[in-house]
This record gives sequence, C-alpha cells and structure tokens, in this order.
Amino acid sequence: MSNSSIQAVGRGEIVELPAPGLLEAPRVFHLQGISKHWPGDHGFKLTVPHLTIRRGEKLALVGFSGCGKSTLLDLLAMVLRPDEAARFAFFPTPEENLDVAVAWQRKDLDGLARARMRHMGYVLQTGGLFPFLSVRDNISLSRQGLGLPAQNAVETAAERLGIERHLDKFPSQLSVGERQRVAIARAMAHEPSVVIADEPTASLDPINADEIMAVFTELVEEKGVTLIVATHEWERVEKGNFRRLEFHLKKNTPHGIVRATVSG
Amino acid sequence: MHSLKTIFRLSLQDYSHERLLSACAILGLAAVLAPLLVLFGVKSGIINTMVDRLIKDPRNLEITPIGSGRYGQEWFSAEARRAGVAFVIPQTRSIAASMVIYNPNGGQPRTLGVDLIPTGAGDPLLEKWGRIPAEDTAVVLSASAARKLNVADQQAVVGRVGRSVSGRKEQVTVDLKVAAVLPLEAFPRDAAFVRLALLEATEDYRDGFGSQVFGWPGKPRPTGSRDYPSFRLYARSIYDVAAVRDQLLSQGLEVYTRAEEIEVIQSLDRSFTIIFRLISLVAVCGYFASMASNILANVNRKSRHLGVTRLIGFSTGSIVWFPVVQSMATSVLGTAAAAGLYLIADLTINRTFARYLAEGEHVCRLAAGHLLFAFILTLALSMLASAYAAFRVAKIEPSEVIRDV
Repeated sequence: MSNSSIQAVGRGEIVELPAPGLLEAPRVFHLQGISKHWPGDHGFKLTVPHLTIRRGEKLALVGFSGCGKSTLLDLLAMVLRPDEAARFAFFPTPEENLDVAVAWQRKDLDGLARARMRHMGYVLQTGGLFPFLSVRDNISLSRQGLGLPAQNAVETAAERLGIERHLDKFPSQLSVGERQRVAIARAMAHEPSVVIADEPTASLDPINADEIMAVFTELVEEKGVTLIVATHEWERVEKGNFRRLEFHLKKNTPHGIVRATVSG
Repeated sequence: MHSLKTIFRLSLQDYSHERLLSACAILGLAAVLAPLLVLFGVKSGIINTMVDRLIKDPRNLEITPIGSGRYGQEWFSAEARRAGVAFVIPQTRSIAASMVIYNPNGGQPRTLGVDLIPTGAGDPLLEKWGRIPAEDTAVVLSASAARKLNVADQQAVVGRVGRSVSGRKEQVTVDLKVAAVLPLEAFPRDAAFVRLALLEATEDYRDGFGSQVFGWPGKPRPTGSRDYPSFRLYARSIYDVAAVRDQLLSQGLEVYTRAEEIEVIQSLDRSFTIIFRLISLVAVCGYFASMASNILANVNRKSRHLGVTRLIGFSTGSIVWFPVVQSMATSVLGTAAAAGLYLIADLTINRTFARYLAEGEHVCRLAAGHLLFAFILTLALSMLASAYAAFRVAKIEPSEVIRDV
C-alpha cells in the first residue's frame, strides 16, 4: 500500500540536477529501497526509492526542518539503522565496497565505525567539538584514532581555514564562526572520501556563512572529496555548483503520519 | 588500538579539564579510604604489638605445675618429644633447691639466699635474656640477686650449701662464676639459674649424700632412677600453650598458664576484625553508590560528546572505557591521597604513643601489602561502579544525541 503511494509521489515531483561531467564518475553511495520509520501519533517515515552519489560530487539536501534531511544524513553516515534496505552500498574508494545493509543486519557496528572513521568526516550545525580538547587536539582526533601522524595535516587544515592562530585555544574561547571552521578542519584533516555536513552555516550570520561555505567547497573540490550538505537555504550553496536533492512530503491525515520521499 | 589509546587520552583530558569535579571525586574517595586505613592501621598496630609481646615473651610460653608430683625420667623424655613442647627440665624439691651465694669481692662482702632454678640447652627464658650456663659451676643470676650481691657478669662468687646431720650443722662450698645477669623483667625473685647437676648435688647433699662432681663429702647416693617433684616446661609458641595445657590436665596435673590472657588478645583481635569489617562494609557500600551515581551523571551530561565520538567512528569497545578510565584515575589519585593522609596520621599517632612502645613497636601500622590490597580493591570497585555507566555509553545512539544543544 505504501509502495504505490510513494511511487506516485516520486514520479511527478522529484527534481534531479546532475552536475555535468559527474555522471561518469564512480559511485560513492548506491541506495535502493531504503526506508526509516518513526512510529507514534506524529510519526514520520522517510523513503529513499533510489539514490546514487558519485565521487567528487557536491550534493545539497534541501528542505525545511523536519523534512528528513538529518535522517538521510544519519543513514548515509551509517549511524542510523534503516528499517528496510534493498541495497545500501558504500564505495569508500573505487576499489572498496562496503555493503552497509548487510553490515547492519550482522550488527557489525565496529565495521561501520571503522569505515566512518577512515573515510568520513561529519560537520554538525553547532558544537560537536570537545570542550576539553584544544583546537589542535579536536582537529587531530580522527588522525589519532587512525594512528596517523597529525602535526602537518592539522596545521595545513588550520591554515586553509584561517584558524592557525587558535590551535592552542579551547573551543569556548572561539566565536561560533571560528568553531565551525574548526569543525570543518576536523572533518577534513584525515583526508576522508566523504564529508557530511548538517546545516553547517545555519547558526552563522550571512557574511560568515558565505565565507565559510566558500572555503569549505573550495577545500572539498581541491581534495576531490564528496560533500553532502543538508541545508534549508538553497541560496547559500547555489553558487557552489551543488546537485540539489529535494524532499517531498505528504501527510496522511487519518493517522497524522508524515511521509517523506527523496530520490536521485 | 589507536582508537582505544585515543579514547584513554580523551577521557583523561576531560578528567583534567574538569579538575574541580575530579578533585571532589578524589577527595571523596580519600575521605572514605583514609579513616579506614587509619582504623585498620591502629587495629593491626595495637593487636600486632600485643601479639608480638605475647609471642616474644617466653614467660607466656611457660606452663607451671601447681603442687608437686612424681615425674620420672620416662615422663620427661615423653614430654620432650611431644609436639608443641619446646623445653622441659626436671626441678628438684623446692625446699632443697636453694643456696646461699657469697660475694667476697668488692668493699663489703655480701651474702644472699637464692632459689636454684634448673636450666639447660634450649631454655627460652635464658635464650632470650641471658646465656645458657656452659659448665656445672656457671650461674645466671636474676636482676635482683645480682643487685643485692653487687656482682656483675663474669665475676666469681662462692655458693654455700648447708645441712644438718643429726643435729650437727655442716656446710660445703662451690666456686661459681656468673655467666650472665638477667634483666629485671625476665625474673622477679632472687634466683640463680644453674645446670641440673648442681641442683641434684644440692638436693643429695641435703639428703645426707655426697657429690663426686663437686667433691662434697658423704656416702654416695644409691643408684637407681630418680623421681622429681616438679618441672619447668615451655610450649613452642603461644598457639601451642592451650593444647599442651590440656594434655597435662588430662594427665591429672594442675597447671598454671597465661593461656587465658592469650585467648583474650586473640578474641580481641577477632572482635576488632569483625567491627572493622562492618565499618568497611558500610563505608564501601556508601562510597560505591555515590561513585556509581557520579559516574552515571557525568556520562549522561556528556552523552552528546560521547555520541560525537561514535559519529567520528570510535568503536563501542573503546568508548565504553571513557567512564572506566576516569574512575580508575579517581581510584589511583584517591588512594594516593588517602595513603598520604594515612601516613600523616600514622606518624602522629606513633609519635604520641612513642613512650609506651619498645623499639620496633607501633600503635598504628600498615604493611605495604595491606596498602596495595586497599588500592587493588578500590580500583576493582571503581571499575565495577563505572560498569553501568559504561553500559549506558555503549547504548548511546549518535543520531539521538548529536543535535541536542
């Protein structure tokens, strides 16, 4: 029953804006028949009939609060278990292939965590930095967890983001904008193949937001990193040549459940 | 491995960043542990001092017969072989076991009547405080006898034994040498410890016989085994006293021992141990509950940050160590603080009571092993107290906590 209604929504309204030249690039994510359901009176169900994300792509999940952006990000970050997953493949490098659906079935949380640590960076809207670690230690966290040398990479990342003079300070001594720069540096310092950012500029003033977004996109382009950003402000990322992915919502009035669908 | 190492460091950095809370936790532990250490130190110090005094004092090993009996050579060899008996020697009739000692040297000659007490190889009293006489003419004097005679170690004295034969008074003398003088606490009366040969000769002389050994006149004593009315007997240790006493009682002997005093101290030790355990149990339970709730509150407060560590990709197996490492740090530093406080208390207490103590005795004393045991126990309890918090950490879902502000 739900399948047919999703198909109906999906067919007419999904907007895909593939970036030119990227269609041939190898895939990073390949999802099919994914769904995540939160039961309850004001329940919510996200369905992803199919989604392919290619290497080096910049993808923007656009939609207002509560549309399922964060849910999709968490599914992609492999911290949220999908209820259904016909196919969920993550290709951290062109040679590697992680079957996320199977890993969840096997409850191989450590395997997922390892892949996350090695190949992903995550930028949160606010905070997410450890208040008890210096900026330097915050940025080098993933590298230390991986046993990689930290010194140069941390300083290079800090320089690119203009926070090199704050390396020995604590997050509480920085402005919100500076903290977001640190968060981006932390997500990038271990040279991941995918960076996921959840509203990375939503708590910043427009000028700071544009500036940070610009340096962020510049950095991912330079490194060939795949960037997936969730945002409610399409204007913020428009200039950055992002592929736009929209969420389509439908409210089932009798039960009050919100159904969101996204494909691309 | 790197992941685990990083979490250890993360945990300790958080611990030191929140130094005020950490210091409170450390002091909380020290406040519970230090009084327990002092209590245990005082308990073991006092009891050990008392037990040591008991053990080291041969007088507590002595089993003294009350009244007189008849003990033959066979009885003595049987007793000497008995497990638990360290030393046994026959004692001659008390009325005959005396002698007048004459000190001809010095300004004013002195004489003193002393009790003769038999001694020989293995006598615990003389082994501790004096020297076993090597010759039949060597004597070990008690402190009071030596003082009254004004003699010292290695001095020559003369012993006189008198008898009355059909109304006629006779006397023989023997040249003696003071082999040692016992300290005052070793023996309270005027006495001379001598080898059994001299005692037997004295008794024989009083019975009207002579002695070839000492050249005393009189007809020789008829051959045949000799019976003795009494004995000196020492148990091997204070723990053997009760058994040896019971064995002698079962032979129909009346004996006096210090077994009751030993039992008082042993039961005191047991009672103290029970009281100490009760206090420890209450303190440990209270501390355990407060520590567990502290760690849990800390983990709940930091659930967002812990969620972020999972988001970054640290494995569950390493993140669960976050609270455990902190509580281990608390137990290491808290035990160190408690040990420091204990040492101050130890010095103060032992200094206060110094004048009641002999060399090497303590009112408050804790062996290094006890301290180590306290530390290991604290460490184990702390880790146990953080187990539930660790379980909660393992259950943190990043997607539920990372967006909380």
